[in-house]
Amino acid sequence: MRAPEAMKLALLSESPADEAAISILVGYVLGAPFTRVQPTLRARGWPSVEQVLPAILRHLHFNTEADGLIVVVDSDDSVVHTPQHEAPAYHHPGCRICRLRTVFRRTLKNLPLNAAHPAPATSAHPRIRRERVLRAVGLAVPAMEAWYLCGRDTSITEAAWTQGQAAGRVPYTRSELKWRVYGTERPTLPHEIKRAVQEVTRHQGDLLRLEHDFPQGFGSLARDLRSWRAESGH
Amino acid sequence: MISAVHFKDFKALRSTAVRLEPFNLLIGPSGSGKTSLIEALLRLRYLAGQAPAPGPASALAFLNGPQIEFHFHPPFENVRVTLGCQADELSCHRLRVDHPPGLAGARQWAELRTQLHGIRAYLLDHQAMGAPVLRSAGTELATNASNLAAVLAQRAQQAPVAFAHLVADFCRIMPEFSGLDFRGVGEGHVELRAALRDSPEHLSCENLSQGTLYLLAILTLAHDPQPPTLLCLEEADRGVHPRLLREVRDALYRLSYPVATETTRPVVQVIATTHSPYLLDLFRDHPSEIVLAHKQGNAATFERLSERPDILELMRETNLGDLWYSGILGGIPGD
Repeated sequence: MRAPEAMKLALLSESPADEAAISILVGYVLGAPFTRVQPTLRARGWPSVEQVLPAILRHLHFNTEADGLIVVVDSDDSVVHTPQHEAPAYHHPGCRICRLRTVFRRTLKNLPLNAAHPAPATSAHPRIRRERVLRAVGLAVPAMEAWYLCGRDTSITEAAWTQGQAAGRVPYTRSELKWRVYGTERPTLPHEIKRAVQEVTRHQGDLLRLEHDFPQGFGSLARDLRSWRAESGH
Repeated sequence: MISAVHFKDFKALRSTAVRLEPFNLLIGPSGSGKTSLIEALLRLRYLAGQAPAPGPASALAFLNGPQIEFHFHPPFENVRVTLGCQADELSCHRLRVDHPPGLAGARQWAELRTQLHGIRAYLLDHQAMGAPVLRSAGTELATNASNLAAVLAQRAQQAPVAFAHLVADFCRIMPEFSGLDFRGVGEGHVELRAALRDSPEHLSCENLSQGTLYLLAILTLAHDPQPPTLLCLEEADRGVHPRLLREVRDALYRLSYPVATETTRPVVQVIATTHSPYLLDLFRDHPSEIVLAHKQGNAATFERLSERPDILELMRETNLGDLWYSGILGGIPGD
């Protein structure tokens, strides 16, 4: 009996360091190896992610064998996703998860299912096995460095951030998070990647802490990824 | 080293000032004074190397031509240097120094002069870099980096650790290469070559791409064991793929913030110019490092981005590059 083929996944993030960390975390959630669609995707931060996403989905749908696309963005000062946003047909215009999900929904709705409409003759992958590109969206609140500090600093959580936002006084800044992770506000890229990988590797085998402290931003990503097992048959 | 420069009637800089940080990225249209600032700094270096005219800075007041006034960070905060000339003269060729009286003040000025001598400006030229060069020309990188091969050959011999770091950085950023080496090409000339990874082939400098050569020159400056005190780099983004601009920023930060990159060198003040919104995007967390050069008619002014009261609000909506391109920050060509 042949082993099931590894999923082919695309990842859209804001930097190579984010990409390295997210790739590791995705592997932990899926619990299975996956291959990355090449070339790698990159966005120039919000709102470029939202602007470029329809074109990326179209490209992945027609021109690649990607099973799914993972998008993770920083929340910065935007509205953080809440369980209320999960209500059917609810859309919060200030929430980046809601906005990215809307882009996914609108774009994918207008793309033909591959089974009914074979890829264009120009496609490099005429035999694409999936019907639609699967969606996984995550939100790092307020930035990826908060995830890196999870388990090291109990004061850094999604709840602490949203409570601070509500009170008009955030508990920490992006610069402070950078200091705590990298020891500088201006890390070199290799140092940033090294520290990102070091920190997320701590969560190997146990993502409960990350899901507990970041239930919407990381939790949404993990739930999306776990739902793929049922949808894709992997 | 230099904390601020005040301009009066110097080219398009009629009446403006710019405060300088350890790292400064200048953005703005052509003719907005970016290069004039660099020219002023080079002029300062040259004139500071000459014997200064006696008397206080106020003595230049009789001159009715352009004036450029330089202020300095501690320990030179009590020294002020002014360049000036008559209105009918072509360039500021007179220098006056105002420093505290006595031996202590004179010593301060002497020390500052030494530092000013270390000001360097670069406008890289890939065609000049491609040609073999006299091996003996490798003491210091030339303004257009035409002696890159000689500088690196000398560094490989005299500072092998620094050279190894440079090569490691180069091969990490450009993974198609596995190393750098040198080939003698007759009559004391040397040629720089890059070894292709997984191949016995070497590419000579003249066959390296424009962007590869620019990146190599920037890394050469960033890993210089004896760097300038102040480094100006025009068009820092030139020839470099937008995805690799982070490496350009990191290399320049290596000079301005040596602690951040675990080096023990003194701080090198960096003034870079760019027309790339992609490079600008990378300074979102440090808007205080951006200087906008505005041009209105024939007059140009400087404004530090962090001095805009609404900049943090604006950056919530979109990235810096798009803000600049849209025109709402200024620093754009006239219609």
